[in-house]
Amino acid sequence: MRQPRLSAFQCALLAPGAILLAVLLVAPIALMAVESFRPFVGGRVGAGAGWTLRNYTELIEPAYAFYFYDTFRIGFIVSAIALLLATPLAWQAARTKRRAVRVSIFGLLIGLLFMSLVARLYAIQMTWGTNGPLAFFGTLIGVPARSAGYAAIQVAIGLLHFVVPMSAIILIGTFQNISPRLEEAAASLGAPRWRVALTVTLPLAAPGLLSAFMIAFAMCISNFVVPLILGRGVVLFTTNLMYVRFSDVANFPSGAAIGVIMFALAGLVIYFMTQLVRWVSPEAQS
Amino acid sequence: MNGLSRRTLLKVSAASGLGSTMGLPAMDIAAAQQGEQLLVVMWGAAWIEVSRKIVDAYVAKTGDKVAWELHAGGAMAIVAKVKPAWPRVNYNLISGWDPVFRAMIKEDWVEPVTLDEMPALKDIPPVFFQKNAKGELMTVPLSTAGAFWGYRTDLVDKPIESIEQLLEPRFKGKLCVPFPVNLTGLLMLTLAMQRGGNERNIEPGWQFLKELAERGQIGRVINNNSEFINAMSSGETSVAFFNIGAWTQVRKQFPVKIMSKIKDNKGFLFNEGFAVIKQNDPKKVAAAKRLANHFATPAINEQYNWPLGEGPTNPKSKANPDIADVFYTPDELGQYAYIADFEYMASQVDSWAKRWEQEIAPLIRRS
Repeated sequence: MRQPRLSAFQCALLAPGAILLAVLLVAPIALMAVESFRPFVGGRVGAGAGWTLRNYTELIEPAYAFYFYDTFRIGFIVSAIALLLATPLAWQAARTKRRAVRVSIFGLLIGLLFMSLVARLYAIQMTWGTNGPLAFFGTLIGVPARSAGYAAIQVAIGLLHFVVPMSAIILIGTFQNISPRLEEAAASLGAPRWRVALTVTLPLAAPGLLSAFMIAFAMCISNFVVPLILGRGVVLFTTNLMYVRFSDVANFPSGAAIGVIMFALAGLVIYFMTQLVRWVSPEAQS
Repeated sequence: MNGLSRRTLLKVSAASGLGSTMGLPAMDIAAAQQGEQLLVVMWGAAWIEVSRKIVDAYVAKTGDKVAWELHAGGAMAIVAKVKPAWPRVNYNLISGWDPVFRAMIKEDWVEPVTLDEMPALKDIPPVFFQKNAKGELMTVPLSTAGAFWGYRTDLVDKPIESIEQLLEPRFKGKLCVPFPVNLTGLLMLTLAMQRGGNERNIEPGWQFLKELAERGQIGRVINNNSEFINAMSSGETSVAFFNIGAWTQVRKQFPVKIMSKIKDNKGFLFNEGFAVIKQNDPKKVAAAKRLANHFATPAINEQYNWPLGEGPTNPKSKANPDIADVFYTPDELGQYAYIADFEYMASQVDSWAKRWEQEIAPLIRRS
């Protein structure tokens, strides 16, 4: 069916937002894309004259694939754990009849959102860091506290602080939109609680769960400050590589090339996740 | 209703908008009458603390006002920050060191300084200044500093005589090193020199670094003074290569041996100070030079460098006796000290940073 055309009034309503988006989002990204094809002269600042593909070809090195892989891998694992932690919290907040429990969960989540992330990261560093009281945890699971692997665990803990409250808040809305009568109906027909959760609640919550996962994943892979503070310089996300190029070496074209690749990869991930949501829950397409 | 009505809000907005538009020139006039408003970029930690003390007294005397901005990351980061904004930058003075000054001079952002307008510079030896192609003085050198290997003696079981010993198993995960961009790659240079190389023959340094990374010796890679001070003060790492200013902060709390006089390596000397940034307003430039000159006067140069643990550039200033064991007598200079070719190193830093990412960081990550 052909979509109806937008009226002049609707266009006028959309115009301010569209202009703002063009100025604040499209223009800087376009400028970054252009910059990524410029050459860089060592010892100078920013881009030189002319055009080159070198900023992209040098990223073909296998080492860079590792950075992209590491960023996406840690992001994926953290998002999955965040979902596991956030789902019961959100379900409890949405379903509990006890006001004190609901208020406590909301208080915790909103408190975590508003508390300075940097303060929390340094608290994690002091507690879980190489000399922190919980550093023995690494030894317990066979990852020495001074190793890079342990730094990756610290980064994951830092990211969880960042994404668990966000995921839980998204999921509270999801669970609130699922009628409790459906769960009660299943229970009245003799289904045990676990079966109600697995066969009724979770399938109905699937679009919300995937949305929460997608947002958590996007927040993880684009994060800069968590690997910067907790990564000890040995766990580097692609955002850290970009920062070094823009800020420390003043090689803007190379930093821009990484940015363009990250932008494309993030777009692909979001596209496939959206397709997955539509496949799992066709009604979400509408 | 107690809330603000739409009409009141519009009135207030219009009034404040008009007020701010008309008020700006008035504020400029007021600033000119009371002195100039300057924006100075400074390092954090001890640098900003001592600078604030110096400037508080200066402001009371001259009427000039100083706002501070701190370096984020290495000092070179300020260059990347200025570039996209140039020439619309508000910085009047930027603290930095030789390679950062070279990059800024190349971009033509720095105002030349003269001995006539800044009399305190007459005392400072000419060798400390960075110059442009015309031979004009382009910087205000305030400190003689250096980068050295060192270690916490309370955390290392027996003394280190040579940095070759850093490959020993006892140092696994205990080394703190700067990212090669930091200190313009002096880490690469010291490692290269250890194996017979130099700035232009850096390959031996990469081989040494690979050995350290493969064996898991590198526990932390730092980007700035604060990260270094945290890593060394917490005991997370016990051996490091970094600048004397940051070492001095650690030495205030913990026993530290700075290896400035080792037989098979060197201490790397450089100068820190101010660059006066070009501005359209000559009054601002004059005020910036006034303030920089104040920092170079004997008493203030001494006050500035004393807590930093760096050497004053003004020969009439006294050096902190605590750093006597670190710096060199004229006889020792040739044997233990090295002044790197920073201009050449600055041109290599980009490729070194990429090589680190491609060859070293993955080794550290997997170790």
